[in-house]
Amino acid sequence: MKVTIGFEIHEQLATKTKLFCNSPTNYRDAPPNTNVCEVCTGMPGAKPMPVNQEAVDAVIAIALMLNCEIVKEPIYILRKHYDYPDLPSGYQRTSMPIGKNGELAGVKIWEVHLEEDPGKYDPTTGKVDYNRSGVPLVEIVTAPDMHSPEEAREFLKELVKVLRYTGRVREEGGTMRVDTNVSIEGGARVEIKNINSIRGAYRALKFEITRQKNLMKRGRVVKRETRAYLESQMITKGMRTKEEAEDYRYIPDPDIPPLLISEEKIEEIKATLPEAPHLKEKRFIEQYGIKSDDARIIASELELANAFEEVAKVIPPQLAATWIRDEVKRVLEYNGITFKESGITPAHLIELLQLVLNDEITLKTAKKVMELLPEKRTSPKKIIEELGLKKLREDSLVAKACDEAIAENPKAVEDYLSGKKEALNFLVGQVMRKTRGRADPAKVLEMLRERVEGK
Amino acid sequence: MGVIEELQSGALSAEENVLRFLEAIEARDGEINAFIEVNPRAIEEARAVDEKIKQGRAGKLAGLAIAVKSNINVRGLRATCASKTLENYVAPYDATVIERIRREDGIIIGMTNMDEFACGSSGETSYFGPTQNPAARGRIPGGSSSGSAAAIAANFADLALGSDTGGSIRNPASHCGVVGIKPTYGLVPRYGLIDLAMSLDQIGPLARDVYSAALLLEVIAGYNPKEATTLRVSQQNYTSKLSADLSGYTIGFAKEFEEYAAKEIIREVKHALAKLEAQGASVVEVELPSLDKALPTYYLTVFVEFFSATRRFDGRRYGYRIEEVCGEEVLRRIMLGRYISQKEYSGRYYRRALQFRSLIKKEMLEALSGVDLIAGPTTPKLPHRIGESIDPLAMYAYDLLTVPANLAGIPAGVIKAGEVGDVPVGIQFHAKPLEEQKILNAMYALEGGRA
Repeated sequence: MKVTIGFEIHEQLATKTKLFCNSPTNYRDAPPNTNVCEVCTGMPGAKPMPVNQEAVDAVIAIALMLNCEIVKEPIYILRKHYDYPDLPSGYQRTSMPIGKNGELAGVKIWEVHLEEDPGKYDPTTGKVDYNRSGVPLVEIVTAPDMHSPEEAREFLKELVKVLRYTGRVREEGGTMRVDTNVSIEGGARVEIKNINSIRGAYRALKFEITRQKNLMKRGRVVKRETRAYLESQMITKGMRTKEEAEDYRYIPDPDIPPLLISEEKIEEIKATLPEAPHLKEKRFIEQYGIKSDDARIIASELELANAFEEVAKVIPPQLAATWIRDEVKRVLEYNGITFKESGITPAHLIELLQLVLNDEITLKTAKKVMELLPEKRTSPKKIIEELGLKKLREDSLVAKACDEAIAENPKAVEDYLSGKKEALNFLVGQVMRKTRGRADPAKVLEMLRERVEGK
Repeated sequence: MGVIEELQSGALSAEENVLRFLEAIEARDGEINAFIEVNPRAIEEARAVDEKIKQGRAGKLAGLAIAVKSNINVRGLRATCASKTLENYVAPYDATVIERIRREDGIIIGMTNMDEFACGSSGETSYFGPTQNPAARGRIPGGSSSGSAAAIAANFADLALGSDTGGSIRNPASHCGVVGIKPTYGLVPRYGLIDLAMSLDQIGPLARDVYSAALLLEVIAGYNPKEATTLRVSQQNYTSKLSADLSGYTIGFAKEFEEYAAKEIIREVKHALAKLEAQGASVVEVELPSLDKALPTYYLTVFVEFFSATRRFDGRRYGYRIEEVCGEEVLRRIMLGRYISQKEYSGRYYRRALQFRSLIKKEMLEALSGVDLIAGPTTPKLPHRIGESIDPLAMYAYDLLTVPANLAGIPAGVIKAGEVGDVPVGIQFHAKPLEEQKILNAMYALEGGRA
């Protein structure tokens, strides 16, 4: 049974002000109903200001990154009418398509729109917060080109990567909203709303496909309807059938003249666009000869990819790539931050890797320094100096540590001599501890063996 | 002009000026019902202006009392739209036109009565009761800026603001025998004007004479960065360019006007045109063959836009859900708007209305291309008696000659041409976009101003 899946994805744009007024967009940091004005609360007599150019440019950039054609005809802003407490004017403004006929990761992009977010309504308390009202959104509509929840998930991951690449969507995350259409051969199309993460989309699709298959197995009809995804229970629940579908009574907003996007504007924005992640990945493999897995991970974040290219100018590319994939990513994931947020610079990485290459610090020290970089936000050399982590060169100090370790652990020495070779590793560990990791482990092993065997 | 000079010379203080209007309102507005609310701080504000006059730093409107239609936000006063829906809505901000009036030291004397949500052409649909025509007692003052026109006619204020979507300034100006101007769409900021039909609404002045109408217009006109439909027009100076010399002016008269307007009204209009010819203008015939399409085009547009505009009055913020408390005419427009904006009908009605609108606009601009002005009647008939029952279509028909200017987005002005019996009749002038000066000059000439 063939499964068909399509998406409508909404993501907030990273503008300073709202779409039709000058109220700030940092709605999460502000107490309820403080980031508002007459316009975004729909006061009687208020009129929209000219549409926020920063938001229009963002949508053009995103549409171009999704390989869309930009619409050259007048683009009307429509009023979509519906009655809900979070909608202060009784309509939501949404543009006609700005981009059309795009493609990403084998999925056709039908349309890219600009929209305004409604406020936030809490049905349990009955409270409405208009701080979010009027925050600009991009809406991306795909063709039903995906055929399994896994494929759908891969597409969303790729889309999120591309959106982040443009630098035009909000960075803090958690603002994405997804509606999905899913149907099984022989059944009607079902729309699922209220999904707000990639994982949620995956689970909703998994559940919904099973539900539809079960219906069909029992000879029941899958009817055309809109369902809601309930995050807490990981199920979908019927909202309304086709007959109950709302008529939004779209009209061009008489308060807003249509947008006209010029060829110059498109060229100007094109010039600022980064290379797409999948193209970057390909180039890294060819240009730097690094492993394809490394290239994929490095290209997952634009700033990280840029940093890699800087580092690879000085450091052997595969070393740089391995270090970024293993160590940089480990530290970022541990802290739950992006490379951009970490404050780590290419210069830091170069300095650190050079210290390793010049045998001035051990690998273990380098890893420790790596962990400290996001917190210290200073150069590796300073961190090493501050913590006294420089590799011990004077053999006497290492020798002293070896002697101490041997004296303190007669049992281990005995074990080694009686044939338990791994007991020596324990002693190496003790020496490393005494020298706070600054000794060269290979050297220590050699010195310990000499001493124990010569005993 | 007398009052303006007296105020500026100090012969009359702003306080005295405001006080005499407040007294007149107190004494006579019980009969006229021009005001819904007077500004309790008017005297206080006048005193502050008197200080500025003394210091020689007062603005153009210093001390003039200005009545404001109740669909314009004036901070601290109720913008009720003459509806129970907004009965208790106290405006929390000033409309841009009000900011501009305050900057020039005009004093808001009060909020005027009107047809509910500007839906009407008679002044009878107000939740606060009908307004009397001070110039023709017993008759309607016209609408929807009924209170603003009546306040001027009854001498309750120096100047008034109205709004005009399909004639709501010009219709009552004609019936009450005062001057009224509907500016070019986008010339005067709409920010703070509560919507009837957003693509047609314009705020404009009402006054007893052309000079003061021009003065108020130049204060409120001009580019407003706060709205998207504003025109990029700099500060205007109509008063200094006022001239009654019409030599070189060609004025068009459309023969279709005679089909639609009563004979006695046409007679007064032609009489006025003859006076203008005497002042140098030449009168020619023009054609407006699509005039018959203007009314349905206009009303379909209004129904849909008004339906959309009223969705915010859902009962959650302003006390009442509009459909539950509004009058019959407002409800009719909302229901019709809801009906024709449905997905299955929008192609048949709303889209067609937009197409006809382009056609009418093209035709008006073509007719204007060979002339400076098109002059004609303002309303097809004389105002009816208050309380006389007339059906909705007959009421809509009042607007037949005023809606083309809104559909085309062009300026139009009305001034008294004469009287039929004791009832004033206004002549209407249309001009090309942003040629308000020509309208003002023609009206100035008719008024008998100096050349």
